[in-house]
Amino acid sequence: MSGVLVVGGGIAGTAAALAAARAGARVTLLDGGTGATTLSTGALDDVPWAQTAQTPALPRPPPATATRAVLEALDAYAVPDAGAGIATTAGVLRPARGHDLALLDLRPFASGRLGVVRCDRPDWDAAALARAWGAGFTPLEATVLRHVDERLLPAADFAARHDDEARLGWLAERLRAALSRARARFDALLLPPSLGVERERARALSARVGLPCGEAAGLPGGPSGLRFERARDRALAAAQVEHLRGRATAVEREGSPWRVALAEGTALEATAVVLAAGGLVGGGLAYTPGDAAEASVLPPGSREPFHLALRAPGVRLGAHGRPLELPGSLFGIPPESLAWPFTADALMDRVGALVDDDGRAAPGLYLAGEMVADAHRTWLRALESGLRAGSSAARDALSATAERSPSAFAAPSSRP
Amino acid sequence: MQVADGPASSDADVYDVAIIGGGVNGTGVARDLALRGLKVVLFERNDLAFGASGNSSGMIHGGVRYLSSAPHVTEQSCRDSGYIQHIAPHLLFRMPFLMPVKSSRQARVMFELIDAYFRAYDDYQPLKHGQPHCRLDPGELSRLEPGLRGSIVGGISFDEWGIDGARLCVLNALDAILHGGRVHVHTTVERVARTPGEDESGGARYLVEARDRTTQERIRACARVVVNATGAWTTITAALGGLPQERVRVRPGKGIHVFIDRRVTNYGIVSETIDGRQIFLYPWQNMSVIGTTDDDYYGDLDDVHATSEEVRYLVQGVARVFPSVRAARAIGTWAGVRPTLYAYGPNEDALSREHEVVDHAGDGAPGVYSMVGGKLASYRIFAQELSDLVARREFESAVPCSTHIRPLPGGESVPDALGMAERYAMTPVAVRRVVYRHGAIASRILERTARRPAEREVICPCEPVMEAEVRHVVREELACTVDDVARRTRLGLGACGGMRCAARCGQIVAEERGLSPSQGLVMAREFLVRQARTRVVAMGPEQARQEALALAHTRASLGET
Repeated sequence: MSGVLVVGGGIAGTAAALAAARAGARVTLLDGGTGATTLSTGALDDVPWAQTAQTPALPRPPPATATRAVLEALDAYAVPDAGAGIATTAGVLRPARGHDLALLDLRPFASGRLGVVRCDRPDWDAAALARAWGAGFTPLEATVLRHVDERLLPAADFAARHDDEARLGWLAERLRAALSRARARFDALLLPPSLGVERERARALSARVGLPCGEAAGLPGGPSGLRFERARDRALAAAQVEHLRGRATAVEREGSPWRVALAEGTALEATAVVLAAGGLVGGGLAYTPGDAAEASVLPPGSREPFHLALRAPGVRLGAHGRPLELPGSLFGIPPESLAWPFTADALMDRVGALVDDDGRAAPGLYLAGEMVADAHRTWLRALESGLRAGSSAARDALSATAERSPSAFAAPSSRP
Repeated sequence: MQVADGPASSDADVYDVAIIGGGVNGTGVARDLALRGLKVVLFERNDLAFGASGNSSGMIHGGVRYLSSAPHVTEQSCRDSGYIQHIAPHLLFRMPFLMPVKSSRQARVMFELIDAYFRAYDDYQPLKHGQPHCRLDPGELSRLEPGLRGSIVGGISFDEWGIDGARLCVLNALDAILHGGRVHVHTTVERVARTPGEDESGGARYLVEARDRTTQERIRACARVVVNATGAWTTITAALGGLPQERVRVRPGKGIHVFIDRRVTNYGIVSETIDGRQIFLYPWQNMSVIGTTDDDYYGDLDDVHATSEEVRYLVQGVARVFPSVRAARAIGTWAGVRPTLYAYGPNEDALSREHEVVDHAGDGAPGVYSMVGGKLASYRIFAQELSDLVARREFESAVPCSTHIRPLPGGESVPDALGMAERYAMTPVAVRRVVYRHGAIASRILERTARRPAEREVICPCEPVMEAEVRHVVREELACTVDDVARRTRLGLGACGGMRCAARCGQIVAEERGLSPSQGLVMAREFLVRQARTRVVAMGPEQARQEALALAHTRASLGET
């Protein structure tokens, strides 16, 4: 039996597990596979970036110590105090609170000359992107593809090729050759999402080229999500968190410990549980419209269209601070209130479990990340909610251990 | 009718005929009159095929439903379908349909009646190069379409032709331009007035004042004849010219279609809704379509969209014979408003879709005509009727109509797509689609890529659409926004909903039009929002996840709306 069981391996679950382990609890993390975090493009936000772009002058508090600790444990991200500037393959320059270390932060090169490295891949038209990003960006003629098939490889598979030391050396040589051919001087080089999967290789490449090199943020589903998974696995192992693969189907409590049933029929027990299985994208929340059941003529009637994907008695869903209500129409909730783009804060974007300030939905049961109602669906907010839920759960687990056998309390605290 | 103040024609271009409305009726008339040597100008408030023409079922059908009440309409429709195949051979595709007969007390009689009805229809099939109908037993039906369910006593097959309605409008407008016409898109007519000192001997009688809705530039045109071809907007347009509205009443009938991400059947399937209306599930271009509804509509004509109730009505109707359609993934809806002839009382389906030319001479406006009603399949006949009248009466022209003989741009011949794919070393699928959309002009687009290899880039992988084609439709086909490009090329209308291509397309459009890249992104975002709006009404459990992902994606790469 664990002290704390975390369900969900995204950034919220990872932060919860690391926080609980740091507080001294025995932690197990149950990971059901790729969710919204692994769809991250590598640009990290606290509030949606369009809001930041509208008020760039507002001061931004530095990340809390606990947040810093998680970022250090992952060793794959930077959150500069001044924020970051990221170029995206959609042709936008966007502010970000932080970034995957493989991404090039443009802030230091505000008046510099940036080379957009030519690479014949579908999402990377260097000339068009340089024009879209504006003054200061110039295409740089170079060879990045080594084999014909690389033109159409998925971005993550292409990036994995640069995990190889020799291949990275080859790329560095090509870039150095391109720089010496180019008449102009460059301050930094932008590449498509391609720099490694096992670890980011931007720092290694920069050292070899002698110039800061980094990625632009691509589409969701690129290498940044895979780099997160690798960084998470390393961080969890270092913190001695037990990492299991599997999908939870129900959370129940009979007597003292929580019992989490798994899809394959087994169950896990824990004193405290953190649910961070994601929202609609991650699969922690599900949507069923009014007439999804087989109905020959009319829909069977109204019910709440949202529910948790795993059974957790006592957890109430809501949005805008209120519990969900039955829709007033046989056809369910009208799409006008449900989904983007009808309203700026569509129900689909706000719905989740109602929790208190500690992330608690019931005694010993905590929720984090996109499963929680009304949270901004951003990477750093998910991390913070994971921290909150993880440290609260650890408190519950440790006080329970202390009550049962005071001597057991010594074991976790001997960890680094 | 108002009288224009001041010397009207001083800063206005002079035309023979001004046409208001860029749907299939307006562009059809523009082409017809331009081919007769008249100088025409056309104003379209939104984009070509923005209304009913671009949101129709996409069929050039033979008017089988009129067979018992008005067989001459069926004959005329079938003959014209043959003409359209002749002038735009690249744009038509065969659409075989199956009509299953569900078992009931009168099933055997129904089956015989249907069989006899289509036997009569067979007489007209040769006019449109269609196959005669077949009588099928239940075994044959389920071999042809294994997804058919329920107790079926048999069925028949019949043959129709499909078309891309938006491209049909664009080609008509392009041909009008090729023959000296002028077409203003995104330009709304604000006033039609009599010019002072009107000239009965053949000079201009009307001043049309319009405003370009993007640049706010004012455009003035003088013309002897004004044609109101604004479909569901007809009554509004008439009011601009001070004409009595009751003369051009239309009964606006909203029709929606639901689109499924792939072709889920090989044949079109006829089914019935809960209230006994006939609806269809049919493969169309790269997807399957369910249509259509018919309801009175009195909302904003510039912003028509489907509701979730309408979507469910259609899906439930088709599911009666093809239940697996419930599990299919709907990727969007189209909504348009038909300009049905006004009639009081009968339910919407019984209203005639036939058309009528209204001459406003009796309203004190000689030389002003309204086109009321009409449908995509008979657009050419309607355009010919009006053009014959206008040419004879207003211009004493004896030049006969030639729209049924002379090919539309690109319709001269259908190039060999596979051969071209080999010659230009491109994927056959992409070339096949370019040839479908552009016919003989496809070789000009591919020629561009030979000079500029970067333009071979496939921007929209779903359809697929390559960069050269996007640039072509901006330069040559009056496309001004991402939305316009999508209407002409189907870019972003496939399974991914524009997530992968809208931003890039916006950049290209902005570049071609000399706009800033950020304006291109604004266009891309507007397009994505429009597309999302057509999707969410058809949203099921899986779609909700994808919609949430689309939101996250747009937010990540383009910022929030």
